[in-house]
Amino acid sequence: MQELIILTFAVPLLLAFLLPSLSRISFTLSKLLAPVVLVALAVMVGCIWQFHDDTFVLHIGNFTGPQGIVFYIDRLALLFAFAVPVITVLLWPWYFDPQESSELKTRKLSLTLLLVAASAGMSLSGDIFNLYVFYELLAVASYGLIAAGDHKAGGSSYAAAFRYLMISALGSVFALLGIALIYFQTGTLNLAHLSEMKQVLDSPAGLIAFVFILLGFGVKAELFPVNSWVPEAYMASSKRVAGLLAGLVSKLAVLVIIKALILIYPQDEARQLLLILGVIGVLIGEFSAMKAQDMTRMLSWSSIAQLGLVFIAFSIPGKAGMLAGLAVALHHMITKPALFLIAERWGGSLQKLTGQAASSPLMAALFVLFALSMVGVPPLPGFWAKFLLLSGLSAQEAWLAIGVVLVMTVIEANYLYRVISSLYGKDELQSISSGHHKADVFSAAILGGVLIFSTIQIQAIGKTLDDIASDAVDIKSYISNSIGGSS
Amino acid sequence: MHRFTSFLFLGGFLFFLSVLAGILPLGDPPMLIGQVIQNQGATETGAANLVTAVVLGYRGIDTLGELAILFAAATAGGLVLSSGRRKSSVCSDDDAGFIVKTAAELLFPLLVVAGLYIVIHGHLTPGGGFQGGVILASAFFLPLLARPSAKMNHKVMSLVEGFSGAAFICIGLIGLFNHGAFLQPFLSKGVVGELFSAGTLPLLYIAVGLKVGAELAGLLAALNEEDDTEEGNEHA
Amino acid sequence: MLDANSILFAGAVGLLVIGIGGMVISDHLYRMLLALALAEAGANLMLVLAGFKWNAVAPIVTFSMAGTSGMVDPVPQAMVLTAIVIGVGVQALALTMIIRIRNAYGTLSMREIKHKMEQDFAAKADLPIETRNIPARNE
Repeated sequence: MQELIILTFAVPLLLAFLLPSLSRISFTLSKLLAPVVLVALAVMVGCIWQFHDDTFVLHIGNFTGPQGIVFYIDRLALLFAFAVPVITVLLWPWYFDPQESSELKTRKLSLTLLLVAASAGMSLSGDIFNLYVFYELLAVASYGLIAAGDHKAGGSSYAAAFRYLMISALGSVFALLGIALIYFQTGTLNLAHLSEMKQVLDSPAGLIAFVFILLGFGVKAELFPVNSWVPEAYMASSKRVAGLLAGLVSKLAVLVIIKALILIYPQDEARQLLLILGVIGVLIGEFSAMKAQDMTRMLSWSSIAQLGLVFIAFSIPGKAGMLAGLAVALHHMITKPALFLIAERWGGSLQKLTGQAASSPLMAALFVLFALSMVGVPPLPGFWAKFLLLSGLSAQEAWLAIGVVLVMTVIEANYLYRVISSLYGKDELQSISSGHHKADVFSAAILGGVLIFSTIQIQAIGKTLDDIASDAVDIKSYISNSIGGSS
Repeated sequence: MHRFTSFLFLGGFLFFLSVLAGILPLGDPPMLIGQVIQNQGATETGAANLVTAVVLGYRGIDTLGELAILFAAATAGGLVLSSGRRKSSVCSDDDAGFIVKTAAELLFPLLVVAGLYIVIHGHLTPGGGFQGGVILASAFFLPLLARPSAKMNHKVMSLVEGFSGAAFICIGLIGLFNHGAFLQPFLSKGVVGELFSAGTLPLLYIAVGLKVGAELAGLLAALNEEDDTEEGNEHA
Repeated sequence: MLDANSILFAGAVGLLVIGIGGMVISDHLYRMLLALALAEAGANLMLVLAGFKWNAVAPIVTFSMAGTSGMVDPVPQAMVLTAIVIGVGVQALALTMIIRIRNAYGTLSMREIKHKMEQDFAAKADLPIETRNIPARNE
């Protein structure tokens, strides 16, 4: 039963390949089939989690040993394999502009399915070149989705997609160089095997390889200095695509960097680099978000800042760092897509938002909920995530980072409060716009429900995350599971 | 000033990379997995060409990802090209001239044969699905260059593309459901070095070749039609 | 200094530096794309060199290995196969985007395009209910 986890990668890919032919027969069929398949996959992953709580390993093609490709499936991988189809269904493009041809719509659906397949593959894989290939698939799918634009592709969406393509392709060149450097020194590509050869990579050439890989995979993780594409791309694309990129794709890129960090590069220098880049990201993100004049730009800078926070969290060594990073990352994965869904209607200038709470009271209330959680108001999960982060940082005596996190919280509270007060304010001259589309409200409400559920069940969730984190940092069992028993 | 600092930065980068290259052990690779594959590859997969054994056997899922990337690029390219374009059915270009037309007619069957040969013999000689697929794509694109008024049949191309991609995954899924692992090679391995050897590997490469050929031909044709629209506008 | 190893590396490093430099410095979209192609070629060359052995033959079992030092490492060659195809896909997509940008904005200078893109965003943000893009020249 557990080999079926590979279907989370294979089935969306199969559907994406067949979708153009399928929609020639009937577009409605393909539009409905894809979300149903994704939900079925999520259910399957849930079943696998229930019945096989142990870490297991898949040898693709039954080629055992480090020469084949190994999929390492611990609970962290299962968590992401579950989250990928669920979040994609919540952010699925249910409604289209009426004048779009069905060919265009099919292409967007195909690209979204390819994004799902790549994300599923990335969360499961245990081979560094395999991770690179899936990362490239993610990249090309996102180029297409951004170029499709917001209801109508135009000059701005092509320009934003092209600028993103250039930065991402530059990053990919660096990532490939990093993989080449690693292969030069070690001769293997399997993460567990590389972890056994850590000493070989503890050299200048090895650390340079890490920096190259960080630059390469950091493009999607919105790491400074390769994150200049973020505000333009999120403004140019539809908000659902922005939610997918900010919420889902960035977490997977972070996951790859963290796997490399924990397994292959446990040195202090690597962590310090992450800390520095995270701090810079937080500062730039928050100050730019404060200056932003429209909602989408504000949300995109805020996303950069939150991901900087994730990197600060992962720079803490050991289980504490993994736990804090997981908590912040998962919290962001739930709140940011919901905020972008709210921005689907309210994504324009902040001035125009005065009094709009009357048109969509549920969405305004959800915005308040998510804003409070992002700032870190107890008892919402955001508070717990920041608390774990701060306690981990104080154990490390990283006072600068603690100061940065606190400053960030203050700035966030400032600009989010501005938006909320404007939403609920009164302006006689402002006309009430039409409300949100039902699909947006539904998905945002589900995400809000998840947030409230996790507030109530915070103890159980905390315990589960604790277990997942301690499994994830257990390098010895990673190696013995991957290579030890089977080859 | 901006130029100067950029070149300074580049000079520094060049120095940095050269020093890095000096450290690396060129000509003496560690060959940890390479050696294992060289020893076992032919017997484990049945392919004489070890690169094919790696591409389709040991790292088959990388190849699947690569196929998906090409599909994503073609889909995204089609999406970008088709939005904002006026449907123009009249092309004002003349045919390309006697030499090109005749040469295209002569070359077409040769290119198709060469492409199919390289695809089918991928497990024996250097080559394979991707290389042969590119030759097939150029074979199907050549008539469009010779006769610009002809239109490529995008419907057939996208059908071939979709179904050959699906065929690759289905072969993998048959491996999963019958033999236990996704993309596990089945069918008899035969004798290393013969055409009918290496189990499902040649079948996978045929699927790859057809997919890549159809995809690239479609993309090139779409770019070509774009070019016609541009020129049509400039003449108008 | 100028031994055979350095000549091989000089090719890869040179391509990389020219490519990356071109992408970062250039203002013209098409030149950025060509520089990207060069940089990817450099990275692929570096990857192939990772499996290189002097006096070795291609990794095909039926070729004779008499008098050679064995076969080259087949894994980097498989990796480069994948990387080249990925590069081709990305470059084709970038080309389609360049065509569309030229149609929409009428220029291929990155500075002007960034300016026009920001103008479009500002225009889009002023009307939160409907989206508005500056119409392309040909419409």
